[in-house]
Amino acid sequence: MTLRALQIRLGFAALVIAAAMALVAIPNFVSSPSNVRNIVLAPTFWPYTLTGLTALTGALLLFTGWRVDPAILLDEEDAAKPGAWLRLIALAAIMVATMQAMPILGMPLTCMAAFAATAFLFRTRHPIVALICTVAVPLVLYAFFAHVAGVAVPQGDLIRLP
Amino acid sequence: MSLLDSLAAGLNTVASVEAFLALFVGICIGVIGGAIPGLSATMAVALTLPFTFSMAPITGILLLLGVYKGGIFGGSIPAILIKTPGTPASSATILDGHPLAERGEAGRALGMALWASCTADLISNLALILFAGWLASFALSFGPPEFFALILFSLTIIAGVSGDSLLRGALSALLGLLLATVGLDLVYGTNRFTLGNPNLMGGLNFIAVLIGLFAIPEIIAMARNPTAHLGRARSLGGTRVSFADYRKSFRSIVRGSFIGVFLGSIPGIGAAPSAFLSYSEARRRSPDRENFGKGEIEGVAASEAGNNGVAGATLIPLLALGVPGDVITAIIIGAFMVHGLQPGPMMFVLNVDIIYGLFIGLIVSSVFLFVVGSVAIRGFRFIAEVPKRILMPTVLVLCVYGVFAVNNNVFDVGVMFAMGWVGYLMMRARIPVAPFLIAFILGPLLEDNFRQSMLMSGSDPAILLRGPITWFFWALTILTIIGIARSVGRKLAV
Repeated sequence: MTLRALQIRLGFAALVIAAAMALVAIPNFVSSPSNVRNIVLAPTFWPYTLTGLTALTGALLLFTGWRVDPAILLDEEDAAKPGAWLRLIALAAIMVATMQAMPILGMPLTCMAAFAATAFLFRTRHPIVALICTVAVPLVLYAFFAHVAGVAVPQGDLIRLP
Repeated sequence: MSLLDSLAAGLNTVASVEAFLALFVGICIGVIGGAIPGLSATMAVALTLPFTFSMAPITGILLLLGVYKGGIFGGSIPAILIKTPGTPASSATILDGHPLAERGEAGRALGMALWASCTADLISNLALILFAGWLASFALSFGPPEFFALILFSLTIIAGVSGDSLLRGALSALLGLLLATVGLDLVYGTNRFTLGNPNLMGGLNFIAVLIGLFAIPEIIAMARNPTAHLGRARSLGGTRVSFADYRKSFRSIVRGSFIGVFLGSIPGIGAAPSAFLSYSEARRRSPDRENFGKGEIEGVAASEAGNNGVAGATLIPLLALGVPGDVITAIIIGAFMVHGLQPGPMMFVLNVDIIYGLFIGLIVSSVFLFVVGSVAIRGFRFIAEVPKRILMPTVLVLCVYGVFAVNNNVFDVGVMFAMGWVGYLMMRARIPVAPFLIAFILGPLLEDNFRQSMLMSGSDPAILLRGPITWFFWALTILTIIGIARSVGRKLAV
């Protein structure tokens, strides 16, 4: 990708974010009393100020994007491996499942499942080590946080660890 | 009582095996606690506090101070090795520490972190001893307008951590400032972007945002390309920090230490902004500024000096005025009170033996930190040798436990995951995350102090220029902005 393309895309993105904030998010999701004596003390003042600055930055990104030499290429980054999108979606699904499963399975069991799924997703070359770590890492962390740090680690409905 | 008499009284109080053993054990606990992401130095101090109740006052307080100092250094270990800061204070260390680890020079980065930490710790302790009274009275003259001017100046450090593009850094900072507005409004108590969710009323948890921005994107990037790391040297490496490295970074270390001392003596600022400010100043003045962010050893030194410089100085307002400088010293003040001690000016009269005993203990703590830190670096070296496709799932699980432990709240784990995707998108769009984080830290402070100033003055903006302290910081801000504009102008001309 060229530097020009990046700057222009970011400029547009910043303008869209600013428009969404000014037209949708702030009017609908920031409550402000009607009897505010001075505008600088209103709860909406700071968000509107930041939104204005975001729009200004977006405009400047667009302006500098148009001015920059179109031949300048960005440094190469690691190319995506085949199936990258599928793996990214799978990782997002693991994260969502972790959140959903935690109240039911408890943190240690959920983390064991998340560890195994992630190691499988990354196609580890050390499956035996991964299997041992799948059980050992969440248990060791449970022991530390529950018994040393005194954190009330969620246990879930299936197994209750000591 | 003369200084020599006071020192003798202090030595008499502290000269026991138990006191120094407590200090040593405290540093060990702190280093381990700091090295576990999510546990943090604050939690380590809080967990150690009940063990001090049955100890002699000086022994208990030295144990807590040891945990505090060890915790601040310990945070740099995972920051360098796995890009997950153990404490918020070590966020800036990631910027150059992790690239060094990726190059197979983790041992050098950790060594420099230790040397810089110990030097800054010593300078901070000496500053505490020499300037406790004077600096504390100066800090007391800070009101909301002065804080606003100081934080506005601190925001200019974003220019130093923006990497290639100042505009992308500014966009990142603005997004961080916008995210910091989530929660209840300070003045009217109304909802801002809480979407009816009570979990959002207190704003987003800082640790969840921090870990989400730095650690989770690495895991997501690994899903995109699980073999990208193959062929790259990633180990502790044979290289160690050399005296030449230390000499080269010495100015940045001393400068960072003084920045830490200054910011630490002002209650409420904390170690993270100090580390970023120190890093930014080091980058601005270094002849190798182009290497910053790519694995520059001076960057590690400056960040660590900045955050460790705060450690001794936060005790200045605590001991001299009875005002805690940060959350950790607020916990430590509890230990003083449990032992029937009231920090403040009268303590220098009534308990001078304890004050000077603490000073002596603090000086010794720098030596202990060096010893414990050297062993810890070797002890944690196995992390650098773990295969990355085993390490990343481990980091994921560690982050889940660590973020949950901060508030015992599953919602924070969700925030961490969400911020992880935000961080990944920013990484792909080449938007630096450090300005986002700095703005997220400083945003609420900036807004609160601005609005408090407006409330004080009846919305008269002249209050923001009310005295020499505000003039000083406004002048610094303007000078820095002029410097940034000139540097951008030079770049455009080239």
